[in-house]
Amino acid sequence: MIEGGLTLEPAAVLDADTPRAAWRVRACAALLALYALVALLGWMHLLPDAQAFVGGSQQPPSASSPALWCGTDLLGRSVLWRVLAGTQTAVTIGLATVAVALPLGLLLGLVAGWFGGWIDDLIGWLYSVVVSVPGILLVTAIAYAMGRGLLAISVALAATEWVGVMRLVRGEVLKHRAMEYVLAARVGGASTAQILFGEITPNVVHVAIVWSTLVLVAAVKAEVVLTFLGLGVQDGASWGLLIAGAAQDLVNDIWWPLATTVTAMFGLIYSVSVLGDALRDAWDPRLDRAAFEA
Amino acid sequence: MTRFLLRRLGQALAVVFGVALLTFLLFHAFAPDPVRAALGQHANASSVAALRAQWGLDRPLLQQFWLFLSQIIHFDFGRSFVNGDDLATLIGNGAWVSLAVTVPPFVAGLLISVAVALFVAYHRGGRIDRLSRALFVGGMSVSALVYVIVLQYGLAYKLGWFPINGYAGGWAAPHYLLLPWLILLAVSIGPDVRLYRNVLLNEVRADHVRTARAKGASEARVLVRHVLPNAAIPILTNTVSSLPFLILGSLLLERFFSIPGIGDLVVSSLANGDFPVLKAVTVLSALALVAFNLLTDLLYVWADPRVRLA
Amino acid sequence: MSHTHFRFDRRRLLAGTTGAALALGWPASQAQADGRILVIARSDPFKSMDPVRAFEDNSSLLQELAYSTLLTYAWLERPYRLEPDLLERLPERSADGLSYQFTLRRGVMFHDDACFPGGKGRELVADDVLFNLRRFADARLNQESWFLLEDMLVGLDEYRAATLKAPPEADLSGTAVAGLVKQDSHRFTLRLKRENTLFLYAFASPATSIVAPEAAKVDGERLATHPVGTGPYRLKDFERKGVIRWVRHAGYHRSYPAAGGAGDAEAGLLKAAGRRRPFVETLEMPLIEESQPRILKFLRGELDLVNLDRAAIDRMLRRENGRYQLLPEYTQRFTLYQSERLTAMYLWINQKDPLLGRNKALRQAIAHLLDVPGDIETVQRGAAQPLGSIVPLPIAGSERDTGARPAGYDPERAKALLAQAGFPEGRGLAELTVSCGFAAIEWRDRFDFHRARFAAAGVRLKSNFTDQPTFIKSVEASNFQLALYGWVADYPDAENFYQLLIGRNAAPGPNLASFSHPEYNRAYEAARLMAAGPERLVHLRRMNDIVRDEVPLVPLYNSLRVGLRQNWVRNHKYHLLISNAAPYLDLEGPPSRR
Repeated sequence: MIEGGLTLEPAAVLDADTPRAAWRVRACAALLALYALVALLGWMHLLPDAQAFVGGSQQPPSASSPALWCGTDLLGRSVLWRVLAGTQTAVTIGLATVAVALPLGLLLGLVAGWFGGWIDDLIGWLYSVVVSVPGILLVTAIAYAMGRGLLAISVALAATEWVGVMRLVRGEVLKHRAMEYVLAARVGGASTAQILFGEITPNVVHVAIVWSTLVLVAAVKAEVVLTFLGLGVQDGASWGLLIAGAAQDLVNDIWWPLATTVTAMFGLIYSVSVLGDALRDAWDPRLDRAAFEA
Repeated sequence: MTRFLLRRLGQALAVVFGVALLTFLLFHAFAPDPVRAALGQHANASSVAALRAQWGLDRPLLQQFWLFLSQIIHFDFGRSFVNGDDLATLIGNGAWVSLAVTVPPFVAGLLISVAVALFVAYHRGGRIDRLSRALFVGGMSVSALVYVIVLQYGLAYKLGWFPINGYAGGWAAPHYLLLPWLILLAVSIGPDVRLYRNVLLNEVRADHVRTARAKGASEARVLVRHVLPNAAIPILTNTVSSLPFLILGSLLLERFFSIPGIGDLVVSSLANGDFPVLKAVTVLSALALVAFNLLTDLLYVWADPRVRLA
Repeated sequence: MSHTHFRFDRRRLLAGTTGAALALGWPASQAQADGRILVIARSDPFKSMDPVRAFEDNSSLLQELAYSTLLTYAWLERPYRLEPDLLERLPERSADGLSYQFTLRRGVMFHDDACFPGGKGRELVADDVLFNLRRFADARLNQESWFLLEDMLVGLDEYRAATLKAPPEADLSGTAVAGLVKQDSHRFTLRLKRENTLFLYAFASPATSIVAPEAAKVDGERLATHPVGTGPYRLKDFERKGVIRWVRHAGYHRSYPAAGGAGDAEAGLLKAAGRRRPFVETLEMPLIEESQPRILKFLRGELDLVNLDRAAIDRMLRRENGRYQLLPEYTQRFTLYQSERLTAMYLWINQKDPLLGRNKALRQAIAHLLDVPGDIETVQRGAAQPLGSIVPLPIAGSERDTGARPAGYDPERAKALLAQAGFPEGRGLAELTVSCGFAAIEWRDRFDFHRARFAAAGVRLKSNFTDQPTFIKSVEASNFQLALYGWVADYPDAENFYQLLIGRNAAPGPNLASFSHPEYNRAYEAARLMAAGPERLVHLRRMNDIVRDEVPLVPLYNSLRVGLRQNWVRNHKYHLLISNAAPYLDLEGPPSRR
């Protein structure tokens, strides 16, 4: 894909039980909550105005007022406020992408795994077709077609990401299909829908959730690249816009827009990754902690 | 065996058809209008109409799709809309360049990642393990674009260790590609080491490994002689599945470093609506992937007769 | 000179063994007689080097090297003066103004190429020019620049119609055209349909460059990347996306001018007077699309010229009395040049929009809410001049002649007009959408800048950034409210800009606003073919007043070209109409570029 791979391997985390690890996970969760809060404030239009002119052009960071903690940009806008607005955009894109890809992949995976036969073949064909087209081409083509912007990227990214969860869910469904509790439910006269959504889904949803964290990370990073290529968010603030502009500023030794944006991005992606790992450790039944030797 | 082969072949063809359909929909139905991109400021109704006719864009969609399918079969994708270059040459040249950009760091990255993963697995649970995991996850938390911008500015401009951009063929290429290689390596090491470490640690729990240790083998020996061979399969699977995409090059690097590979070709073709190029690249890479997968499936079957999925 | 700095190259050390391989494998073409290489970067890929197939800056940059035109512009005179290039002298006008006699220079040689018998280039003759004129008119080849001669020469439009009907491979170059009359090997006459002062400009445009007929007949497609002409440079190595190398054409027919404008002699621009051009043996033109690497390479001495983007302007220049000065730490190595360009940027207002089309007061209010000087200052770092009329400043008929002034940023006036328009304080006014097809970050900053100004008066703006083709599609369908789009001069006459607002050019033509005002149209038709002078000014002023009143567009600014050249470059003087300076440049003491 655009960058990085998406794999869902058993985590084999060794120190999952140590207090230090738990501490780290809690810290990341707290950080994530902060990001979520920023996004929430943004949706409610309660964030400080990223378009307001708070100072002179391209002032370095100063401690004089919160708006100036990270300096100003070319038009005299607060870098910090713009990065916060970009945070809102990033979280929105991540969630939107997951919101489209997750149900789609989940549904198709359930259906393919349960019914098998020509339905499975058809969905498998769809999977192969999407996987064969280079990710960047698919995403950029769809983003173009949908006229760019936030919704376009989310849909475009979701179109490439649904295959991952589809395959995982299908695998899980195949396993569970033969299990006793499912057979019992069938014997008990439950309808297909009831079995699928009532019995199996709760048992596979953990896989989907862990996978969602990976997709969120991929979406945030992809937005940066897409915006740089001119396909991403056009209006307002996004990390991609900030980084794209920062390349020019760097030559003039104006480092604060890039530094602030990278820090914010780092914080979000790192904590999501750590949390994703922790969730995987907590929920993956294949993990046999007792079997570890130190 | 033949039934399996035929079935796989049939599936492969179905996928290629699907890719053709998807490509066509994306680049004809939805893409920006290439005629206006080509004519720019001087577009007027008659010139637009003339150019559309010249490029065959005024025929019904179904007919265009049929034409496209026959083009695929004949491996003839025509000429670029933008500058009339013969596509075979255009893509061919770009492919070599992109491969020069992606293959060396890929190979080096594989070796380095496996080595580092082994090292980390050896020290699992300890400080080195924790530190390296934090380092790699951290490295992955920064966009590749940032790596490109910062490293080009820092290493090429400020320190002058590398050329700022450009490309030359033949023996002069490594001179220009060193920094892009370094960047690719830096970006891919994190995820790879993470993955290989997980794979190795999974194997570490296996019975035969416990036996080896019980028999008195040192940890290092256990890792290399018992764990690694079994871990090799998932590692190789991961490696091999990335191979077909190497030919696409790296978009960001090619743009920032003015390297005339396929990635850059794709970006500019998208902006100009240069359909022939986009269609050709998409279909060719899909064909490559499908052929590749077909081959690896066949290899698996040949290697392990038990693997025979209905 | 600081070129000693480049002899010690740490990069070679780092590259290790590849350094040796490098020296071995370096293309042999680098080993030239005097070893001097001129390096000028291209910022975008070109479309085609065939003059009838591409009519855009990136392509003309290269066409100017390989080909010559009948006429060109004097290198040193400003703003511009037509002079003969392939011709012995300017065409002679007949008494009734309906025919012009052209006399070709003798001894103009084509480049050596395999398309000629024996591989040697031959002398240019009248037949070649007439062949090229037919090729220019061929509808199967030329869709972009034909308008330069449309409806001007007797019989040529009919010829074009005939080519449209002919099959693609048919060769119609033998057809007689009434307006193209050959007299002898070096003289021909062109007959016009009516008197026309604009007619000669077409022959100074790269679009009418003279291509070797042998090359065109052998393989027309090949001309796109393999030009054969009479120009100052001959193509040596071609890489579409890499470095294009050129070698001096030994038989080139032009010399460096002996006369210039005021101050040229003092600036050392006449030292090369009378010497055969071009001066530098090898020219390299690498493609570097991102501006940051381009500027970095220039700073390291690897490029001879560079345009400055706003980040570089901030870093390297300061402003004094409205002009830029290079900071002292750079003056030892570089020299600054700055000049207006023949381009203009406008905010178009769609007359077909139900809200804006019917509300003149609203449109006028918009004109007063545009803080163009602020935009230039903040967003462009001063690299432009505000425009008072539709014509860029250097062209005859601009506000320097007509005295037009911009509407000006006047929030009070705007508020009064808003109230008059029925939207006091902006109440009741829906969000207005501004469409823009430019991708650069600067445009987003520009929009944000103006959005804040408009918001202060109560007018809300929304942006619609798309890619260029989508933008053009929507404006041609009149599917927009406000749009940011400009115009680049095809030739240096005010007519080329006033035609942007005439009725018959309405969308899908260049009149994006679909403006149609009978009096404006009449003034245009009257002024169109007039020579510059007081009579013409009367009509131009009338048109300016109408535009100011009706506001189909608001003229915004005229960009400046701000660039740097290395101090070892000679003879450089930024020219408004010649894209590629290389045929005139010389290098004195540049670094070794092996």
